[in-house]
Amino acid sequence: MKHLTDEEIIDVLKARMKENKLALEEMKILTDELKSVNRKLEESEALKSHFISNITNEIVNPFSSILGLSANILSVEKENWKKVHSMVAMIYSEAFMLDFQLKNIFAAAKLEAGEVYPEIVKVDVQSLLSTVISSFRIEARRKKITMELKFEAEKDSSKTFYFKTDPEKLRLILSNLLHNAVSFSYEGGLITIRVWLEDGRLYISVRDRGTGLSESNQNIIFDRFRRVESGINSTNRGHGLGLSINKAMLDILKGNIRVQSESGRGTIFTFDLPEGEADAPAIATDSNEMFFDDQQIF
Amino acid sequence: MNAPETHFLYPSTLFVSRKHVVVSTVLGSCVAVCLHDPVNGVGGINHYMLPLWNGQGLPTPKFGNIAIMKLAEKVYAMGGSKAYLVAKVFGGGNVIENKCEGLLVGNRNADIACELLAEMGIRIVAKSLGGTRGRKIEFDTLTGEVRQRII
Repeated sequence: MKHLTDEEIIDVLKARMKENKLALEEMKILTDELKSVNRKLEESEALKSHFISNITNEIVNPFSSILGLSANILSVEKENWKKVHSMVAMIYSEAFMLDFQLKNIFAAAKLEAGEVYPEIVKVDVQSLLSTVISSFRIEARRKKITMELKFEAEKDSSKTFYFKTDPEKLRLILSNLLHNAVSFSYEGGLITIRVWLEDGRLYISVRDRGTGLSESNQNIIFDRFRRVESGINSTNRGHGLGLSINKAMLDILKGNIRVQSESGRGTIFTFDLPEGEADAPAIATDSNEMFFDDQQIF
Repeated sequence: MNAPETHFLYPSTLFVSRKHVVVSTVLGSCVAVCLHDPVNGVGGINHYMLPLWNGQGLPTPKFGNIAIMKLAEKVYAMGGSKAYLVAKVFGGGNVIENKCEGLLVGNRNADIACELLAEMGIRIVAKSLGGTRGRKIEFDTLTGEVRQRII
């Protein structure tokens, strides 16, 4: 065996020390990462346990309103029947919100159970958008908010614009964005919904001129059960599921969502999705191809 | 015997059945865990994209730790028994060239399956993991047989 000089031994030791140091540094980075993930999980768990009390407003309040209003209608004298119309409108609006919130809760449950598939059909995007927008009209009117739709996806206005996607998921995604936009808008505000095509992808943005989001809040809004204190609408606190559902739904549709916002100046949410494949995936069972060549059986 | 039903498994979803269904899916760096209880006749499969849920967004079966736990829960709920349950694991190819520094997502996806299944005491009887190419697999929920083609 070759004898090493002192210098050579020192060099080898130095190199090993350096390696160790690098390994330690790497370990430290990983530990830090682990710590932050742990903190997130703890927070998520804590928020989850507050979920029931958070959704009280969303479910119990509409129910009491519906019950109370129906009771009032029953006791209305015949000559005052005109009052009934406005009460029925309120019942409708409460029931609509209840239905919307329950849809979200069930959507979250189905997503977490891994039971959500894209169900792609040809969608008349403009009419879907109009339906969703008009479903929020009563809520918007209450706050004197104007909603405008800028449909820029099709130049030729004589033809209906179709896009292959999942209409139910698109509807829920849009409803969540619109609900947030209405909730976080100031009285008399303006909400702009813009639709356009870029590289074959459908882009939809929802812009409000409301409270806006600070940069730190922009990072947490897609986490579940997270609600941002707005100060604007303390009676309607939400359950903090909407945006996390949107993100997971868009994952399934291979879409993206991002937020641009400035505190006090409003928020723009933009999402985009590719056109889906109308039939079952081309890769679905095609038993012939499985018969020959290189298949393995386990 | 009637021809089995077919089901295409999308990423981030899982599928469990007591009926005879052939489930197909396509894997790149994703991993699919197939669980099968031949005695009670329950078969299930998942398809996850990332190893661990990091607390962001919803804990969906997009993440290995969630997907494997949920799959096992559902198999048990449908009458599967741990005593007879066996696992087959596929995927985790490193099809995208070293995108993130350090660890490759395919490897990490594959590792988490082996670790979690060992922790849960479920035996892995077959696996095809890693490599640099994608896989197309068909899982038969009745027989537990998996046919694989490298793509």
